[in-house]
Amino acid sequence: MKLSFKNIEPFLNSKQNKISRWFSYAGLGVGVLLLLCDLQMYININQLIKNKNTRKDGYDFISITKNITSKNMAKDNRFNMADIKEIQSQPFLDDAAPLIANQFRVKASAGNILPFSTDLFLESLNEKFIDTVPPEFTWKEGQLDVPIIFSSDFLEMYNVFAPSQDLPQLSEKSIASVPVILECYFNGGVQNFKARIIAVSDRINSILVPENFMLWANKSLANVTDVPASRVYLKTKDANNPELLSYLEQKDYRINKDKTKFGRIKQILQSVVTGLAGFGVLVILLAMILFSFYLQLMIARSKDNLQLLLTLGYSPGWLSRTVAKRWIPVYTIIITSVLVLTVFLQYCFQHFVLNNREEVSPLIDKSVWIVSAALLVLSIIINYRMVRRLLYKL
Amino acid sequence: MQHIHLNNVTPTFLEQEKIANSQIWNKEVVFNAGEKIQIVAPSGSGKTSLIHFLYGLRKDYSGTILYDKKSVSGFNADKFSTYRKKILSVVFQDLRLFAEQTVEENLSIKRILQPYHSTDKIDEMAEKLGIANKLNNTAKTCSYGEQQRIAIIRSLQQPFTFLILDEPFSHLDENNRKIAMQLIEEEALERNASIILADLKPIEYFNADRTLYL
Repeated sequence: MKLSFKNIEPFLNSKQNKISRWFSYAGLGVGVLLLLCDLQMYININQLIKNKNTRKDGYDFISITKNITSKNMAKDNRFNMADIKEIQSQPFLDDAAPLIANQFRVKASAGNILPFSTDLFLESLNEKFIDTVPPEFTWKEGQLDVPIIFSSDFLEMYNVFAPSQDLPQLSEKSIASVPVILECYFNGGVQNFKARIIAVSDRINSILVPENFMLWANKSLANVTDVPASRVYLKTKDANNPELLSYLEQKDYRINKDKTKFGRIKQILQSVVTGLAGFGVLVILLAMILFSFYLQLMIARSKDNLQLLLTLGYSPGWLSRTVAKRWIPVYTIIITSVLVLTVFLQYCFQHFVLNNREEVSPLIDKSVWIVSAALLVLSIIINYRMVRRLLYKL
Repeated sequence: MQHIHLNNVTPTFLEQEKIANSQIWNKEVVFNAGEKIQIVAPSGSGKTSLIHFLYGLRKDYSGTILYDKKSVSGFNADKFSTYRKKILSVVFQDLRLFAEQTVEENLSIKRILQPYHSTDKIDEMAEKLGIANKLNNTAKTCSYGEQQRIAIIRSLQQPFTFLILDEPFSHLDENNRKIAMQLIEEEALERNASIILADLKPIEYFNADRTLYL
């Protein structure tokens, strides 16, 4: 006959002190439920927020500027090379590039086709950051044609005021046929270029020219080579990354709030979820402490019998394993029941609260399974170590 | 295990005079397997302490005790338990029974640890020692003499090479003493085991090979 807990059970006062035992079981159940639901809810919220982001190719592109206030407005609030290098070195960013602006006066007109003329700014940006780069977006020194990528927002703004100025409204396609004359002023003269809008960008709010044109023009027309940038474009896997938001906040860099509003929600939710998870862990800890009191009491009340069992030849190692094993089914039942309840709650949440929205799965995430398995293993190990410590002290 | 070796073992608490007159304390003594040893020890000479030292329950002595060539000073509780399961068996002077458990439970908790005899054989021993009708009684309701017989049967259920007895018959009548002694000797012979019997005075019906005065 193989020795088991059943053989030694009559010698232990394991049936006494039922209330603290049941309270510790309930506490463990509540704590694990809090933790699992909390984790699942965090995953649900992330899934919901993720689908609200304007992501392209798996990346978010956002522009930042230095915050201009009444205090610092007299200073140069542009990014120098050191600022850009520091931004590029941040681990939560995949890349960063400056938007270089023209350092000379530019005037644009539409020649004889549209009676329209305005002072203008031009910028250049590394092509990797531009969403629509046609093959003809190139320029060679000496070339008088300059390709332009135009912001779709600017086109929209033009179309708003055009009717009131007796100008025709333009579509994204028709704008390409409008010849634009760029008048670039420099000390003692003006040089004209024929510009053509070859693409419209949803991402970049600017009028972009090829990088080498901007470098050449700044150097030749304004005699400036090292141009600080007013704006820097960031490439990141998650514009809502709380680390990124804290960094920008700490450096007092300004960002389009709309692009990161879910990041702020996420920051708040992360605090709530962390708080709840902390509370769940606390409840589990309290349950374990309560259970350790029960064990201590049981072992104290059975001390004489346990000492006699050791005297008769029962080893403390075997006793620890056997007594601890007695609670494996209890822990398994508690954690499995809680897991089943979490599955049910997730189904109800997806079905009734989210009305079967596809972004959120009705099934619990695999990390919840992993956490519950880890909690089960952890409970068993902690329990075994508690029993062992108490028995070896006898 | 073939030998228990006492190498100048001296209790830390015993008077010098008692140690000087002893044939065991502070001497080289070897107990061999199969040997029947009688230890005669007047009250206060450290008899129970010696039993506890041999069984590994106490360590308040100087000198060394060796199981074969291994010093027990380095043994932990798990190591001792392996010896107590298969090699050493004991009857304590204070018996050490589970008071709230039945006689049957007191016997089986030891038997199942390392079974040597069948339950029929145990029943037979209980019958022989006159406690068969007490098996379902709790140990605390048995008389001291009955409890002594339970402790003797308990010690004979396991395999052993050394059987250590501390005043095992102190509360038995003459007839039961002889029956118990005969049973113990038969069981030791069957296992080719040693009996180390400590008592206040020599027991005439114990066929000891050696008698040592503590």
